[in-house]
Amino acid sequence: MPRMKRVQKSVSILMAVLMVMISTPVSSVFAAMIGTEALLVNPDTSGARDQLRSFFDRKDVQSELTARGIDPDEAKARVDSLSDAEVMQLADKIGALPAGGDAGGTLLFIAIIVLLTLLVLEITGYTDFI
Amino acid sequence: MPACRICRYFTGPLLLLWIITGLLVGCVGLPKSELPVRPENLPATREIAAVPFYPQSKYQCGPSSLAMALTYSDLPITPEALQSQVYTPSRKGSLQMAMVGATRRHGRIAYPILGLNSIWPEIAAGHPVIVLQNLGLSWIPVWHYAVVIGYDFIENTVVLRSGTSERKVMSFHTFGKTWARSEYWGLMVLKPTQLPAIAREKDYLEAVFGLEKSRQYQAAIEGYQTTLTRWPRSLVAFMGLGNSLYALGDLIGAENAFKMAVVNHPQAANAHNNLAQVLFEQGRKQEALEAAQRAVAIGGPMAEVYETTLKEIQSDN
Repeated sequence: MPRMKRVQKSVSILMAVLMVMISTPVSSVFAAMIGTEALLVNPDTSGARDQLRSFFDRKDVQSELTARGIDPDEAKARVDSLSDAEVMQLADKIGALPAGGDAGGTLLFIAIIVLLTLLVLEITGYTDFI
Repeated sequence: MPACRICRYFTGPLLLLWIITGLLVGCVGLPKSELPVRPENLPATREIAAVPFYPQSKYQCGPSSLAMALTYSDLPITPEALQSQVYTPSRKGSLQMAMVGATRRHGRIAYPILGLNSIWPEIAAGHPVIVLQNLGLSWIPVWHYAVVIGYDFIENTVVLRSGTSERKVMSFHTFGKTWARSEYWGLMVLKPTQLPAIAREKDYLEAVFGLEKSRQYQAAIEGYQTTLTRWPRSLVAFMGLGNSLYALGDLIGAENAFKMAVVNHPQAANAHNNLAQVLFEQGRKQEALEAAQRAVAIGGPMAEVYETTLKEIQSDN
């Protein structure tokens, strides 16, 4: 793909992601209420949560999730029930968390890290193979 | 990843390298495990026999452990019902955060356990603890969830509901080693009317807020009220209580909670702000205006929100 078109494609993907992030509905109807979360001393992690949500909104991510037996709505619901601190931890450590279930092999975790890394690279325009 | 590809890395000269690496990691890589220490005021032995047993099916130790803990907390549920929320098929297991999230979505407090010796007071108080153990080696882990239901400081053993064993008795030594590898990750499932034996305000509030975040508002309300029985002036508890009642449409309840917040913390602009909002929605414009003005007068990092609230009330005719 010629360089200009590649840049355009990357920008358009980025814009799409941003639009998804901006249009994520707020939980309270009246924006004038201070939510409880703001009062718990937590780092500002709304970016991490939006990042996770926007991943799960993408069609190609959703098909990847389904192929791995994860319902995308279920994934989003799980993210929604976590506090910001936990979302940060998940976003940071999703590749390193052990999944208790008597399954051996740290090599399984690599598949998830690779998937997420590929998606990040695609969004930021470093790669162009999707 | 197909098995044959993995085997390729384990043959020939690389095999020796793997063995050496494995021995090194095995000897050096194990985290320092703590020694079990029995607090003086606890009984020498304790077993919570009433914890139900759900034998696990393949890879399903997460769902079965959580089902046992939830059922014991008066929420009867089977492992099968939890699978979709807890089990991640591609990982052949249950992520820790999924265990926490599922607990909250069922209206229960997910209270974190930190360290080996924090479980004894909880077991003594009748609170079973879900633990994440590595039953394999640090470089070939076999992660496994089990439920600790008892301890014995005479025999130096713990009792677990684990896998297909209703009563798995494990030496302190083995238990400590296998649990150390998850950095002593543990989870207590409590009703929102219960406090842990050793309760930390921040952790409890985080757990209750997790309920609010999961839209389990009734459970969150109970949780915040429980917080106030132990920490009667907790600002976050008053605010959380008010916000949860507000989410359920109980404006009068929310108003009372925010009023208690401002009585106990007159300089908490956030409380004045939220009080203004719920008064405004009840049509009590003058009182709402005064509360909003107090918030703006105090100011702070959320000052923009207070201005918005004030403008909203002022512009209403």
